[in-house]
Amino acid sequence: MAGQLSKYAFINAKLRARISKILSDDVFNQLAAAPSLDAALTLLRETPFAALEEIYSGTGDLKQAELELLKNEIEIYRNIRRYLHRNSIGLVDALLSRFEIDNLKNAIRIYFDRKIRKRPGDGGIHYILYDHIIHDIPIDIILNAENFDEIAGVCEGTPYSRIIRKYGHTVESEGSLFRMEIAFDHFYYHNLLAAIEKLDRPDRAMALRLAGVEIDLQNINWVIRFKNFYDLPLEAVLAAIVPGGFNLNSAIIDELYSAQNVTSVLGGFVKSKYPGLSALLSSQTPDITSRLGLVSRILEEIMKHEVRRILAGYPFTIGIILSYFALKRDELKKIRMILNAKQYGVQQERIESVI
Amino acid sequence: MMFTSRMIQLFAVVLGKDSERVTEALLREGVMQFINISEVESQRPNSLSAVKPRVSLTEISDLRKRVEGFLHTGGIIPAAPKETDLNNRIPVHIEKERNHLAQIASERESIRQRQRTIQQEILNIEDIRRQVELYGTGLSGVTLPAKHTFISMQTGKLPVSNVKQLEDELRDLPSANITLGRENDMAYHLLISMKRDSEQINKIIAKAGWTKVELPAEARSVKKNIFKEFSEKLKALTDEQKKLQIKVNELAKTDAKHFKETWVNLRVNELFYKIQTHFESSSRTVIFTGWLLSSKKEKLTELIKKTCQDRCYLEWNEAGSKDTIGDEIPVKLENPKIFAPFQMLVSNFGIPKYGTIDPTPFVMPLYLSMFGLMFADVGQGLILAILGVLGVYLLKKKGQKEGLYYLSWLIIWCGFSSIFFGALFGAFFGMGLFEPLWFDFHGIISGHSVGNSVINDVFDILSVTIYFGISVITLGLLFNWINIIRSGKWMELFFDKGGILGGWIYGGGIYIASFMIAHDYKGLPPGKTLFLLVGLPSLLLLFKEPYHYFAHRKDEPGKKFNPLIILNFLMEWLVELLEIFSGYLSNTLSFMRVAGLGIAHVCLMISFFTLADMTSGIASVLILILGNILVIALEGLTAGVQALRLNYYEFFTKFFHGTGKLFTPISLSSYK
Repeated sequence: MAGQLSKYAFINAKLRARISKILSDDVFNQLAAAPSLDAALTLLRETPFAALEEIYSGTGDLKQAELELLKNEIEIYRNIRRYLHRNSIGLVDALLSRFEIDNLKNAIRIYFDRKIRKRPGDGGIHYILYDHIIHDIPIDIILNAENFDEIAGVCEGTPYSRIIRKYGHTVESEGSLFRMEIAFDHFYYHNLLAAIEKLDRPDRAMALRLAGVEIDLQNINWVIRFKNFYDLPLEAVLAAIVPGGFNLNSAIIDELYSAQNVTSVLGGFVKSKYPGLSALLSSQTPDITSRLGLVSRILEEIMKHEVRRILAGYPFTIGIILSYFALKRDELKKIRMILNAKQYGVQQERIESVI
Repeated sequence: MMFTSRMIQLFAVVLGKDSERVTEALLREGVMQFINISEVESQRPNSLSAVKPRVSLTEISDLRKRVEGFLHTGGIIPAAPKETDLNNRIPVHIEKERNHLAQIASERESIRQRQRTIQQEILNIEDIRRQVELYGTGLSGVTLPAKHTFISMQTGKLPVSNVKQLEDELRDLPSANITLGRENDMAYHLLISMKRDSEQINKIIAKAGWTKVELPAEARSVKKNIFKEFSEKLKALTDEQKKLQIKVNELAKTDAKHFKETWVNLRVNELFYKIQTHFESSSRTVIFTGWLLSSKKEKLTELIKKTCQDRCYLEWNEAGSKDTIGDEIPVKLENPKIFAPFQMLVSNFGIPKYGTIDPTPFVMPLYLSMFGLMFADVGQGLILAILGVLGVYLLKKKGQKEGLYYLSWLIIWCGFSSIFFGALFGAFFGMGLFEPLWFDFHGIISGHSVGNSVINDVFDILSVTIYFGISVITLGLLFNWINIIRSGKWMELFFDKGGILGGWIYGGGIYIASFMIAHDYKGLPPGKTLFLLVGLPSLLLLFKEPYHYFAHRKDEPGKKFNPLIILNFLMEWLVELLEIFSGYLSNTLSFMRVAGLGIAHVCLMISFFTLADMTSGIASVLILILGNILVIALEGLTAGVQALRLNYYEFFTKFFHGTGKLFTPISLSSYK
């Protein structure tokens, strides 16, 4: 069996060098302060994201630039996969499947809007990935399909066919995609946790911890949607949450869904595990949406804290790879957020408060 | 040059009516870093209030940034204002300029909107072309039937007057509307669209007066025509996109002259009001204070007095005097331009504390010696120097970042160092083409007799670097003592890890090591000598903690003596001794890397020559060329990084306190 050092020495050096290239907070502040979208993109000319400016100035279409960003992100995973030991490849494949699932979800949403909601297309078809990610999924056919059975049929041979078949009729009868989307998320995380189980022992605990924090974030995002758009009963919410969270178990989510005071619910583990984040608990939150938003922010900070912890610790583990992915995801999310905010003329202070 | 530059603080009182002229004079001179008296609250008299600029500084700054952003989109970087711009400073019409910018922004947005529309059309055509390519048109006789066909094709006629309307309405949908011919006032069209859009398509064509007709025989070759049609349409749209892109870029360039002038005026006003934000005013006077270089005192005094016609009060306080306002003295490193790349290395580590040694002039010889010892080769050094010159030339021409420019200069210096040491060791692209001036490095590593009286084997090379390391560490200790003496902390001079006791132990350690080597590692100096060299200073160090305890006890009145504190003193002493002994030993041995990398450099070249000998002709030459490229890239980088590391961790840590704050006067060329 290969030792940790031989497995991760090269990729560790490579990723640490790449981490140093991740845009600094200064650059994000400059982007947030840019007077227009054009000016913000001009600032990116001197960074690895120069292509975004090129695409935007040639098309005036920010979504095209974002699509390029997505393709690059997928390429990052593929590129790193090439340098990994076979024991760790499964995990990167599981992470890569997130892009395939998100793309499939987007394609199904377009089909759903056109066929079930009878809404005319809004050009979303142009911002879908038609390329192969992991499985051969004929996105064209899904976009033009007549029913869910046809979609499930063309997805035959992929793990998604079963989910589409199982929830297709529910989606049609309820007029909402959320059960199918939750099933996709459950599948993704189940797959991720299974890949983590196959890792060598030193890597497993670390990967479980990071994946757990990510699951917490995903769950809280769902809880926010349940509360705001569906107002589901608690039992339905608890049935929908993804198991495997690191900080938020069913009991905490139960409390969060109804509690008036976030501090009382999260105070316990935040104060003991992440004392540095205690200050966030004192933020004023007038309604349930802001309270859940605050929880989401706390969880994002927890993710950053975990990443920093890994980067400061023993370097030759799967942690460096997962940390790099987390940092890169955060960087790309900020870029997308700022550029969109600039396009819609959002004030600098508001942008700065969320980056 | 050896120490940070001497600073002096000016406290000035001028009449309110002179304040504008004084501000202009201060900005023109650009030598003063202002202190906000209001931030040093305890020292602000109640009768004073902040001077309110006539125009909001934030508004000017925002507008300046907007103009700057706008110019940047056109690739225009405005140049810093000049003195004439200050003389011609005019009031800023914020509203007018804002409106002008808004007008251009709206013009740009409308072009962007047009670009987006065209892009949607391009995407629609690309989408339908992809569908046709993938699955065919589904019309028998035209193409083979596809497994999945989402394309719908229909031919029909409509009044010529409705063609434009049809084209406009189809624009948002993936479709191809191909004209087949005309007959009187009717136009014959072939319409290709997606089946999924049939509902919308049917509505549109019905509105346009579309009547279905049979597919004419000539349309049987429609597949070829469709692709031609697609290509033509795409080309036309892409050309239009390019024109629009040029139009957006031109937008910034058309008005560039006006905006550059506006930017300069805004910048001058911004700096002017920025200075005034540091002013405090009473009913008739204005007060300001700040730091400047001592050498500028006379000139500034003369300038202010001349500007105010002697109606002013100027008070000068030397740095360190109790009358200065604020605790922080800014630091200015003044070195000849030749040292700029090395000053960059120093600033990268930290800014020295005010009044301490600026190591820049010492970093230059040390860094270059280390680099040269690790990378000694006349030929490879020459290549490095040429690369550096190329970098300087290109970066200066493009006006690129200062850091990269100085890095290129550093590469030139490293190249020269490599040439110098290459000449000492007689190496030219790994070959011994000439007699070495000092010793034959390659010969020693290859195991040949070199006939040098001092350096004969690898151990001698290692010794050279150890001696070099001892000299560097000793220099660091000396600098530390000078810094401490200048700050007047006498007990620190004695007890500091890098103080006299630390240096004494280090000197003793060197003597003991030399003695052992001279006696074939079989004997130590006599006990009395050992005690004097290491024992006595170690014992004296035992007084450090008790001294600190009793000296600072008055600062903590509640603190009582506890017998357990003695144990604490002992522990602190032991840890400190351990740190001193292990620290100095590892610091000194660390310099062996210089020899190590020098040896690795020679070994790599020997390997490539061996490989080249195994082949012949062009292959042999290629191996040598590739080998040299690899060595220059890999070893050059390694030697550069290791030399930097030795400076930062073995030299700087002995004396350097990077706690200083850089002197940033407000001048016309200020960046922020």
